[in-house]
Amino acid sequence: MVIASSSVTQLVRMKTFYFLLAFAAIIVVLMSLNPPTTPAGVLSTIKRISFGTMDIFAWLFAIVSTALLIPKDIEDRTLYTILSKPVRRIEYLIGKLLGVLFVIAVSLAVMYGICALALFSRESLYIAEELGAMQAGAQYSTEEVEAQIALIQQQGLRVELGIAVLASFLKAAVVASVTIFLSTFASSSLFSIIISVLIFIIGHAHTMATSFWLYQTDNNLLVELLLKCVKIFIPNYQLYSFSHGIIQGEAVAYPLVWQMTGLTGVYLVVFIFLSLLVFIDKEF
Amino acid sequence: MSNCAVEVKNMTKVFSRGLKKSDYVVAVDNLSFEIGAGEVYGLIGPNGSGKSTTMKVALGLMAPTTGSVKVFGFDSGDIRARNEIGFLPENPYFYKHLTGAETLKFYGKLCGFSGGELKDRISELLELVELEGAAKRRLGGYSKGMLQRIGLAQALIQRPRLVILDEPTAGVDPLGSRQIRDLILKLKEDGITVFLCSHLLEQVQEVCDRVGIIFEGRMRREGPLAELIQINEQTSMTFAGAKPHFLAKVRDLIEAESEVTIVDEGHPKTTLERLFISLSQSEQEEEEK
Ligand SMILES: Nc1ncnc2c1ncn2[C@@H]1O[C@H](COP(=O)(O)OP(=O)(O)OP(=O)(O)O)[C@@H](O)[C@H]1O
Ligand SMILES: [Mg+2]
Repeated sequence: MVIASSSVTQLVRMKTFYFLLAFAAIIVVLMSLNPPTTPAGVLSTIKRISFGTMDIFAWLFAIVSTALLIPKDIEDRTLYTILSKPVRRIEYLIGKLLGVLFVIAVSLAVMYGICALALFSRESLYIAEELGAMQAGAQYSTEEVEAQIALIQQQGLRVELGIAVLASFLKAAVVASVTIFLSTFASSSLFSIIISVLIFIIGHAHTMATSFWLYQTDNNLLVELLLKCVKIFIPNYQLYSFSHGIIQGEAVAYPLVWQMTGLTGVYLVVFIFLSLLVFIDKEF
Repeated sequence: MSNCAVEVKNMTKVFSRGLKKSDYVVAVDNLSFEIGAGEVYGLIGPNGSGKSTTMKVALGLMAPTTGSVKVFGFDSGDIRARNEIGFLPENPYFYKHLTGAETLKFYGKLCGFSGGELKDRISELLELVELEGAAKRRLGGYSKGMLQRIGLAQALIQRPRLVILDEPTAGVDPLGSRQIRDLILKLKEDGITVFLCSHLLEQVQEVCDRVGIIFEGRMRREGPLAELIQINEQTSMTFAGAKPHFLAKVRDLIEAESEVTIVDEGHPKTTLERLFISLSQSEQEEEEK
């Protein structure tokens, strides 16, 4: 836990939080735009852009910071002093991972907060406007008014949006554990960053890739093996894609959420275990 | 053995270089020695002779290829062994973004300390290494000597019974290395075992009880320092205030003895180091006035 909190200070002092300021700036710019669309359209645009940014931030940050932390300790020889204290190597690895995840979680929470505030203020503004406009003429029935407001509310601030944030976070956690695994044997940060990004991209084409190979060759053993490897070692990042639907205001499919959470756990355990296998006998 | 701090037994460490099997380096070759509890042991040898490798194996950072290293009876890979060891690596670097005090806090927490006890220990150590003034500065702005001293403080944080120092005075000015030497002597007084290696032979000579000379991974000479450097058949005398006629009398006396010859005669010289230290001390005193 000490390692986790030290990684947090390390990341904080590496000034990563400037990203949050940039995020806030994006939202503010979005808010000040006066787009020629319906209120629901504006809300949906705000959501798409801000959640998209949050998602990119989460996985990019997970890859880059995880890939930097361990090689930096080795290069600076801080690892010598850390591992010559009574610290287990698994504690070190998990500490680093938790540190990164903590920073991501806090950043996501802050970004979500900013975004929620923006959505909420816009939403109540629009609802008030709409109500005022519709009641002024007195030519709309209550049902019609309510339907119109429901339309806005659907694109407004809803509890389900939290699940989209959770999906981003869990995805980032898996990305970080993959990167930790890579950086236990990669000699440079750049290598782990590139490979992890590659895995990230392949992982998004998971079902596509697997079905493609399945139909291409029927009995080729080599390809089959390769396929199994891909299935096992490349996480299926498509698991997390359903959050796009949530952002668009669709209903949440809870079975998918449970599946996502469970599989995330499995991926984390597998990759931490693999990293440990490499790391425990590593010599410095 | 209970009074043995470090026990190296037939330890060999082979590094493979490159992918080929035949391409390897024997860094340490069948090395055996023991360090008794409370002793200051110095390992000396040329660059690449395997000193740092021996230390890393003792710390469990590397596993020996064959043989074993035991620290206070524990295998060196054992986490319990590391509770007893403080380590200062060669050219230490710590997190540049931490201040001196935070660095010590971090390492203290790694050893399971917390709260008031840790706080007291930190200020105690900062005082010991004379870095109280720099405690709130980030390590990025520390000089080499200061880094070395914070490194030493870090090594001592959990009150280890054994301290391993890899070239503790490398790149430190004579005054600073005198401070470090005094610290080592203080540790010895407190009954802490010190295992160090260095290229600065005079300093090894000043602090070590026992010395091992290692060459290409093999121990060449080992033993108590006094025995290693004593020239048994010679005796030296130094006079103060001796007038020429007194010296002539002494010479006559020596010539009368047939089996005694004068090997060397002249004024003893101060070492450059002592000169440097006395100069900088008088400089300091003037500044204080
Ligand atoms: N990680 C490693 N991989 C491959 N070879 C290594 C490794 N570490 C050390 N060596 C080799 O082992 C030998 C001994 O190195 P070591 O660092 O122990 O020497 P040293 O006595 O500490 O030297 P110095 O006085 O320069 O610090 C050297 O030939 C070195 O090249
Ligand atoms: Mg060395």
